[in-house]
This record gives sequence, C-alpha cells and structure tokens, in this order.
Amino acid sequence: MIAFLLALLGVCLLQSAVIPRLAIGGIRPDLFLVLTFGLSLSAGPEVATAAGFLVGLYQDSLSGAPLGLNAFTLSLIGFLVSQMSRQVRTTELAGRLGLLFLAGLVSGLTTLLVLRFFQVPRPWTSTLLWTVLPGAIYTAILGAGFLAMPKPKALRRLGR
Amino acid sequence: MTRLLLRYRRGLILSSTLLLSFVLMTLQVRSQSALADLTKHLLLTSVSPFLRIAAVGKAATVTLWNEYIDLRRVRLDNQLLREETRQLRTQVGELREMALETYRLIGLLELRNRVGSEAVSAKVIGKDATNWFRTILIDRGGNEGIQRHMTVVTAEGLVGRVVDVTALAARVQLITDPESTVGVLIQRSRVAGIAAGNQEGTVQIKYLPLMADVVIGDRVVTSGMGGVFPKGIPLGRVLRSSRPTNGALFQETWVQPLTDLSRLEEVLVLKQPPANDLPWGSGERLP
Repeated sequence: MIAFLLALLGVCLLQSAVIPRLAIGGIRPDLFLVLTFGLSLSAGPEVATAAGFLVGLYQDSLSGAPLGLNAFTLSLIGFLVSQMSRQVRTTELAGRLGLLFLAGLVSGLTTLLVLRFFQVPRPWTSTLLWTVLPGAIYTAILGAGFLAMPKPKALRRLGR
Repeated sequence: MTRLLLRYRRGLILSSTLLLSFVLMTLQVRSQSALADLTKHLLLTSVSPFLRIAAVGKAATVTLWNEYIDLRRVRLDNQLLREETRQLRTQVGELREMALETYRLIGLLELRNRVGSEAVSAKVIGKDATNWFRTILIDRGGNEGIQRHMTVVTAEGLVGRVVDVTALAARVQLITDPESTVGVLIQRSRVAGIAAGNQEGTVQIKYLPLMADVVIGDRVVTSGMGGVFPKGIPLGRVLRSSRPTNGALFQETWVQPLTDLSRLEEVLVLKQPPANDLPWGSGERLP
C-alpha cells in the first residue's frame, strides 16, 4: 500500500513537473495510465479497479477535468487490463506494448464518450486522430519502456 | 448475502467505482456541488506540498544545470583565452626577437658603412661540434664571394676569420680558438703584440715587452700586421696583466673580447682579400 502511494505521489510529481517537458506536438504520455496498467498486470481485478479509481481521482485533481472523469476511465482500464492480462502474454515487451496501446485507446474513447454524455463534446475524428491515437502511442512506448526497466524491491511489491 | 457479495465482488467493485465516478462528475458538472469541489480540493491539498517541494527542487535543478552550463561555457572561454594568450605571447616573443635582430642588423649595417669596404652580412648557422676548436658556421659561402681569410666582425668588434668556404656556407675561426692569432695594438700606448686564443676560450696577448705600458681596461685593436685583419678593428679590453719575475721577456696579458662570442647570431664578413694566403692555424708575423 505504501509502495503504491509512493508510486502515485511520484507519478503526480512527474506528470505535473517533468512530463510537460517531454511533450511532442502538445501530446504528453499519461503516467497515471501507465501506473494503473502496471498495477493491473499483477493485481487482481478488484484491487486494480480500486487503484484505478484512486489514481484517476488524483489525476482529476491535478487537471481541469471534472472530478471522476479519469477515475471512471482508469477504474475501467484497471479492471479490463487485469482481466486481459490473464489471456495476453504481458511478460513480453510486444504484448505489453500492444496492451498498453489498447488501454490508451480505450481510455481516450471512454473519455470522449463520458465528455459527450456530460455535454462537453469534442470533435470525434480530429480528437481521435490528433489526441487519442498519438497519446496512446506515446504512452505505450514510454510506458512499456518504463515497465521494462529494473525496479526497486518496493515497486516490485507494488502489485502483489 | 455475504456469499453473494463475495461471489460478485468484481462486478460490484467495478460498478461501484464507475457509479461513484459518475456521481462525482454529475455533482460537479450538473449541479456545481460543493462536495465534488471539496473532494477535489482535499485531493489536491494532499499532493500540493510535494508538488511545491518538487517545484523548488526542479527550480534548484534548473538553476544548477544552468550554472553548470555557464561554468562549462566559462571553462571553454577560459580555454580559448588561454590559447589566445599563448599565441599572443608567442607573437610577442617573435616580435621581440625580430626587434633584437633588427637592432643587431642595424649595428652591422652601420659598421659596414663605417668600414667602407664591401661586406656581406651572414647568419650563424652552427657552432663547433668539439671542445677542441672554437669555430662557427655561417650561411654565406663562395656563391656570395666569401673567401678564406676574410675578416669577420660584429658591431662590437672582431670575431675571427674565414677558414673554410663552401658554395653555401663558410667556417669562421674565432679569435678565442687555440689556433687563432691576431696582430694587435694597445690602442692607448700603441704597443704591439699577438692576440692568441687558448683552450680555455680566452684571448692572451703574447710578445708584449716587460716594460710595455699596459693598464687594465686598455682597449685592444687589430694592428693590421700580417695582412689578414684590417687595422683598427676593436678586439677587446685588457682584463689582467702581469710581469713574471722568472726571467721571462714578455708580459702576460689577458684580454676580454668585446664581442660575446658564445652568443653570436649575425656577423659581417669583410670582403677584403688578405695580402698572403695563410694556412689554417698558422700564426701572424711578429710586428
């Protein structure tokens, strides 16, 4: 739990202080999604869903999004990834990359749908092409690389 | 009931979180609820101290990085300036050397005008390779009309005479060479003698009568006797003189050459042919 909170804090700091500098064409990778994804690979669906919810709440608090938007999305992502990680070989880099890319796409689509539901619509095509897709690719590449790195014991215990 | 909850816990948790999220969104978007704002505020408050620390750390890191970059730039500038200083020092050294050379050449030119005979200026390109002789090699030879027994001088005085000539270079026997002899006069008293070099690299005047008027500091000039050296070229000053009491007929007089023969760089060769073709190392005739 402590390791998870530390990781969450680290992601909050990185996402707000460092990641903006890594933006390419205004597109930033989503470390909150990477954290949820990484946790969901080894944790059960219940934990992954709850963790996704908490991570999403913090992401909401650090952004201009309505509270609950990312909590909703990441809860769903946590649950889905945790379920799918049993079917997909997530130990391989390509498997992780693909699944993370898919998670990015689902996250983007869900956000679009929820925003549309709450009468904050975005143009579908351009948003998908210039925001969701590049964001998913960037997050997948960075996230897969990050997850492939050797981690300290505390982080390895994160998902257990 | 508990068993039912446990059985559908995954779906329950998922639907609960999704529902809660939806409610929070609805509260904030539709009714501008204070609860959603408070939750967001609480969450932000829990992270903001760390964000502030991170921002301070980031600013410090950026400052440090910029200072490091500046330091590197300063170091680079320093290296460039050092290199420039080194080049300028070299240039100053070269200019100083050129100035000294010009000064010496002007002296030689003045001397050439004073001598009034045809003369060739030459650079010293080598010194004797042994300790047994005292000769120098100059960069002018037969091609410039240099011949054996020509007199070699500097602005300060006599240097020696040419003893070997090739097309492009010539060897000059210095007055301090053990085989060198020059007819000289004590300028003040007009007493004549023979200035001979020795193994120690000094000059000794031989055949000066015991009662000859010689005082330390007297100027010694060439006498013109022997036909090799023109008359009146300064050679040196009397360094010390003694009158032996062992029945010897002549004084023992040592002369300090006016020219520093160990630091010769340019010389003037007087193209005045000698009266007689003297062999290497032979002495001049007595006055």
